[in-house]
Amino acid sequence: MKRYDMIVIGAGPAGLSAAIEAAKRGMQVVVYDENAKPGGQLFKQIHKFFGSKEHKAKIRGFHIGEELLAEASALGVQVVLNAIVIGLFPEKEITVKIDSHVEHIKGDTILIATGASENMVTFPGWTLPGVIGAGAAQTMMNLHGTLPGKRVLMLGSGNVGLVVSFQLMQAGCEVVALADAAPRVGGYGVHAAKIARCGVPFYLSHTIVSAEGEDCVTGVTIGEVDASWQIIPGTEKHFDVDTICLAVGLSPMSKLCDMAGCAMEDNPGKAGFVPVVNAYGETSIPGIYAAGDVSGIEEASSAMIEGRIAGIAAAARLGFISQEECKAQAAQQEEALSGLRQGMFAPGMRGKKITETEEGVAISENLLRHGFVAEDEIERFPGVTHNIGVHPVIECTQNIPCNPCQDACPKHCIRIGSNITALPSVNPEQRCTGCGMCVASCSGQAIFLVNEDCGDGTAEITLPYEFLPLPEKGNKGIALGRDGKTVCSAEVVQVRSAKAFDCTHLLTMKVPKEFAGKARFFRKEEQA
Amino acid sequence: MNDRNRKLKPFVPQPDDDLIVCRCEEITKGEIRRAVHDGMFTLTEIRRYLRTGMGLCQGQTCTKLVKGIVARELGVRPDILEPSTGRAPMRPIAMEVLAKDREEKAT
Amino acid sequence: MNAEVIIVGGGIIGCAAAYHLAKNGVSVLLLESSENIGDGGSTRNGGGVRQSGRDPRELPLIMYAIQNIWPKLSDMLDTNVEYCQHGNLRLGSTPQHKAILEGLTSRAAACGLDVRMISGDEARQLNPYLSEEVSCASWCPTDGHANPLMATMGYYKMARRLGAHIISGEKVVELRKIKGAVRQAVTVSGNVYEGDTIILAAGYESRFIASTVGIDIPMQPVLLETLVTEAVAPMFWQMLGTADADFYGHQTEHGSFVFGLNSGLEPYAKPGKPLSTSIAASAACRGIMRYFPSLSKIKVVRSWAGWMDSCADHVPVISKVEEVPGLILACGFTGHGFGIAPAVGLVLSQLAMGQETAVDLSALRYDRFQ
Repeated sequence: MKRYDMIVIGAGPAGLSAAIEAAKRGMQVVVYDENAKPGGQLFKQIHKFFGSKEHKAKIRGFHIGEELLAEASALGVQVVLNAIVIGLFPEKEITVKIDSHVEHIKGDTILIATGASENMVTFPGWTLPGVIGAGAAQTMMNLHGTLPGKRVLMLGSGNVGLVVSFQLMQAGCEVVALADAAPRVGGYGVHAAKIARCGVPFYLSHTIVSAEGEDCVTGVTIGEVDASWQIIPGTEKHFDVDTICLAVGLSPMSKLCDMAGCAMEDNPGKAGFVPVVNAYGETSIPGIYAAGDVSGIEEASSAMIEGRIAGIAAAARLGFISQEECKAQAAQQEEALSGLRQGMFAPGMRGKKITETEEGVAISENLLRHGFVAEDEIERFPGVTHNIGVHPVIECTQNIPCNPCQDACPKHCIRIGSNITALPSVNPEQRCTGCGMCVASCSGQAIFLVNEDCGDGTAEITLPYEFLPLPEKGNKGIALGRDGKTVCSAEVVQVRSAKAFDCTHLLTMKVPKEFAGKARFFRKEEQA
Repeated sequence: MNDRNRKLKPFVPQPDDDLIVCRCEEITKGEIRRAVHDGMFTLTEIRRYLRTGMGLCQGQTCTKLVKGIVARELGVRPDILEPSTGRAPMRPIAMEVLAKDREEKAT
Repeated sequence: MNAEVIIVGGGIIGCAAAYHLAKNGVSVLLLESSENIGDGGSTRNGGGVRQSGRDPRELPLIMYAIQNIWPKLSDMLDTNVEYCQHGNLRLGSTPQHKAILEGLTSRAAACGLDVRMISGDEARQLNPYLSEEVSCASWCPTDGHANPLMATMGYYKMARRLGAHIISGEKVVELRKIKGAVRQAVTVSGNVYEGDTIILAAGYESRFIASTVGIDIPMQPVLLETLVTEAVAPMFWQMLGTADADFYGHQTEHGSFVFGLNSGLEPYAKPGKPLSTSIAASAACRGIMRYFPSLSKIKVVRSWAGWMDSCADHVPVISKVEEVPGLILACGFTGHGFGIAPAVGLVLSQLAMGQETAVDLSALRYDRFQ
């Protein structure tokens, strides 16, 4: 029987990263993936990732996928696509469906990196065509170039719901509302803010009462829930939509681990039924590892590091490196991993109510309830300062592990420091040149360049812009506030695009100067 | 130790009992709740009795939903209910494909 | 905790016995070692309700069950057990197969069973999906199949409804005699249950439990595998088998096909959790497609494995143990306990109540190995 040093099941971020580390150390590695395209969810991720420079921050997900694939292939890793691993049997034997036959293959080590599947919620009409998972919507848009619908209601305010809402708008859909039964926005505030300022209303403490339609979705009714999650009569709101996206969490796809006989646990902290693993990702069966979402739902960035650690451990198990080397190399990765697991959204913080930032600043309650920081809250954050001339205004208000802005500024105007979750602050002593690198580098699209007084009664605001068609200089329109409501009229005075900005365009609009602190988005005037 | 004669709260019909939960096998919430009162106290027993999670998707969609309903009916935390075993094949596979697992495959 | 009768084992045999006892007003306590009712062969078998191909010592039980219980079981249990009596076809394609089938047929006919040899063409008339490969078959029109999951859970449900006390996750490891009669069942957690009669129906585990009162039943665990397909429109209703015994199965009321497999390695499986092998399902598909080419596009959705308690002479022990008063054995069903389970449940209750049994059990005594 064909045998490899390592069989990797799933060519997502965890699987590819493990394959790379194992192959780097001399192992013969094969990766199987049931999809036609490798990369797992990475190729659907058209947004820039958070994190540190060392770990692919500000790089768009699909570029990370391309990098991983190129690295794996350079190292001789065999990636077999359209290959469904249908079973994992004793003696580390797998059966794989490839084309129209089944192959039996053994691995001296096996990594299970099968990822996660989307959760569903039930409500009358939930089985109607048009009710889809947010991940499915993302696949349709970003892999297959197909619009899931025209008018969408998103259920779920976690990062998936927020990111996919933004992508739906980028693809040309109208997101009529974002609802979540929880009383607070679950995902990153910056992701929420960038859809709120486009005018998407947030309905927290709301859930779907019913989906309407005969053969497909034609509408949806949401309603407010009380403390015991029951709809409060009279709070129902109806929307005409053709699509309802559900972003209500992911569950580990761990059946293969279970079938193999790995010890399993139902761990709510890991969002479901997962294999019990040690610090190296090794399951109760020696030589079988699990990494990424299959062993607990987290971000792609952590999946990549978990994969790397498993790859290193597998290499040590088979004697390609020594135990000492394994310890040292894994420790480096673990440090990075613990860096990613810091801040307000760390796995250990789930369910805890946070009232102030690490810096002792009261958090924005409005951001959590409505998706944007209120005007009377924004001034208290260290990134929001006032100065003469153009200067950055950083509306980053939550402690998340991310720091590309600090390195982006060639003049060192922006400081985060060694604690990666610290809120960025602006150094007023350093002169901003208005280059815009910080604006383009912020994965949360939370940095603006503001010139509060151009001397002629106007102010100029430069904002990140990722929609098509791109407005042009001279276009007139309206400026929207953080809440997505009209603030004033505005005119585009500059649109900058550069390779270094990686498709985040910098749009500069001119507004009356009294709106310098309010205007945060531009909408071109509709043709009359 | 799981005493099958312990008292549950009485079965009260609910307005959404006709909601389909397992789409593949078209099993409703009411059927699942009823099965718990008929003594099906584990997810495996529910599956054996009602076929939930035994269709083409093999429970990928409904497992968590069924678990929530059963847990509420029993008055326990969902995470103490053990999921049903994962079984090969992980995805449905035609007999003629499964049959071809020998070397004589076409090149 | 006390009861008149303690049943060790919550499979279909134990649940059926509990049902009949509870129905007769006997206080009964059933202890199941695993978390789930019916965790052994009861919910893992292929669902055959066959007389043909059976050992003559078992025939009275299955004939009684088919004549008296199976047809009304759904009503009895308030559960659709999907009993379907449309005959059993045992297929062959070679002269050797024909010889095997003729042997089985003549032995069963001698016991009064309506079973006969038919030609390949006759078989194809009964089942037009059969390939030209089939050259002979045995045909028993009164055989059939049912849904083992529904039958097992149905017995459990009704036993519980009738007041039987049922506890799962309670593994009995020892039986104890009190003043000359077996009275106590002791669990791994140290709990002691006491009754006047103890019915031991715990599959292969029965061997270790019985040995604590000095009784050994020669049996070994054997791993059997089964697969199920997606549901398709109804094609045929017969129970199927082959002379080679390389597969057996049927289409269920639900539309899916259930097939039992045979890899030839059954007795050599490693102990512990029953795990599917990597080869059995593929081998079975080849065998199935040879006789039923039209099934080749149907998708297999699930496969599983289970232990059977294979008795030294391939028939069960269903017996009082006179030297250990109070003990009734029901084990060693050797993979064909499902079809006879309704009759076994009835006779076990009769043994426990000191009544005459509906079927003569003398060929299935525990001391036949001595």
